[in-house]
Amino acid sequence: MRPEIDKILETTAAQLMTQIAPELPPGYTQSSAGLIGMMLNFCAQEYENGAEMRASENRELRNLLAELEATVEDVRLRVKLGAVMGDRDASLKISDLNYSNAELKKLLIETQAYLETRDDEKARLARREIWAVLKASAKARLLHLPGM
Amino acid sequence: MNDDISPRLGRYMAKMLGIPAVEIDSLFRISGGASRETYRFAARYYRDGRAYDRRLILRRDPPASLIDTERANEFRAYQAFHKLGLPVPEPVVLELNTEALDRPFFIMEEVQNCTVASILQPDPYGSLATRIGDQFFTTLGKIAKADPDKIGLGDLEGARTESWKHEIARWEREIDEDEREPQPIARAAIRWLKRHPPPPAQKVSVVHGDYRTGNFLYDAEGNIRAILDWEMTHLGDPLEDLGWALDPLWSHHNPARPAGTVSRENAIAFWERASGLKAEPRALFWWEIFASLKGLAIWISAAREYGDGRNTDPVNLFSGWYCTAFHNKVLADRLSAVGA
Repeated sequence: MRPEIDKILETTAAQLMTQIAPELPPGYTQSSAGLIGMMLNFCAQEYENGAEMRASENRELRNLLAELEATVEDVRLRVKLGAVMGDRDASLKISDLNYSNAELKKLLIETQAYLETRDDEKARLARREIWAVLKASAKARLLHLPGM
Repeated sequence: MNDDISPRLGRYMAKMLGIPAVEIDSLFRISGGASRETYRFAARYYRDGRAYDRRLILRRDPPASLIDTERANEFRAYQAFHKLGLPVPEPVVLELNTEALDRPFFIMEEVQNCTVASILQPDPYGSLATRIGDQFFTTLGKIAKADPDKIGLGDLEGARTESWKHEIARWEREIDEDEREPQPIARAAIRWLKRHPPPPAQKVSVVHGDYRTGNFLYDAEGNIRAILDWEMTHLGDPLEDLGWALDPLWSHHNPARPAGTVSRENAIAFWERASGLKAEPRALFWWEIFASLKGLAIWISAAREYGDGRNTDPVNLFSGWYCTAFHNKVLADRLSAVGA
């Protein structure tokens, strides 16, 4: 058997939620068991999609930040944005992808805050591009409730 | 754990009541959120020749609390609104000393034969939805209408002027302290809220702080019998509670029906009628953005508690994971739509 971890987690989650939790006494223990089952289901979703979702988000963030360099007039910030250009994830380990993601998001926060201080058309357009990426990222990170 | 608590609780109650003994029966932990351990139990005793069999609820601080809430204020809110005739359980005793049960706790009467909805249920109220929605938003309006000074809650935490500043500062601080990774959407929301302050509050009210579906008990006829979880109660703008109650996270997956009950228009109309206040759209929108930001702050704290191993209640994992993702999506959609 080649273990398909997401399937194992999904099956275990379903067993916990539909077979084991209902047999427990109603109250905290039963609801916690059901919730732990749901968490296993989330883990299944994350196992299947986690690396791809993070790698894709990091790619989008790098492209966005590199593109924003042309709009930014602050020299110090421009240097930081320029450094992102051509960069890529060296590993697909979740912890490595998370580390890159956090670094990119720090820079995104700084850039977005800077652009909010400007009221010109270029800055407005750049802010819209940032929100488009943030919306797509938020959508991709949504978790699906089992059975819904 | 239950077996450990029962005899100690019995001794505590006997001392409180000034009688030789109280028998504690069927002590049982029930769901009650991650910031308090909640137990149901029966207390049986004789006093002045009469037998008592009381059904009670114990709310005890957990080893680590998600949000640093003031249990004395929570207890006082139960007292004040129970006295005012709102559907609130009757509080019995507050114990801040840790000697009796290791941590502070309070006891209140159990409201029996009721149900509490889970936010995960698609349509928990069914044919009772309109009836429940009317009471839910009307009761919130009554809380907003109450004069904090006249009901003895005038000294609650919060700000009487520009409460929005106070509230943003509070929740920004939570995010600063607890975030495990950068939060671009939360940070953008904070900046937007600061750049677009709401109009001055129409009055200072007691804000429940977590008024939502899932935090009240209702019976089979659709009567709301108990508004629960006053642990985040404070003074502030009454629109804060309305914005929170209308938040999409509490809509049971149907954004057209806030709190899984009535239409948004009706919900606001019920609240306005009972409170005598206006939910001016621009002000309400501000408080709705704030509500989602406050949600994010709470979920970020939950993730921190869980991740650091201080409170591994699965509710914290669910909140820190599912709810964070949910509110990031809500805020990204709403803020991008207004050109933030």
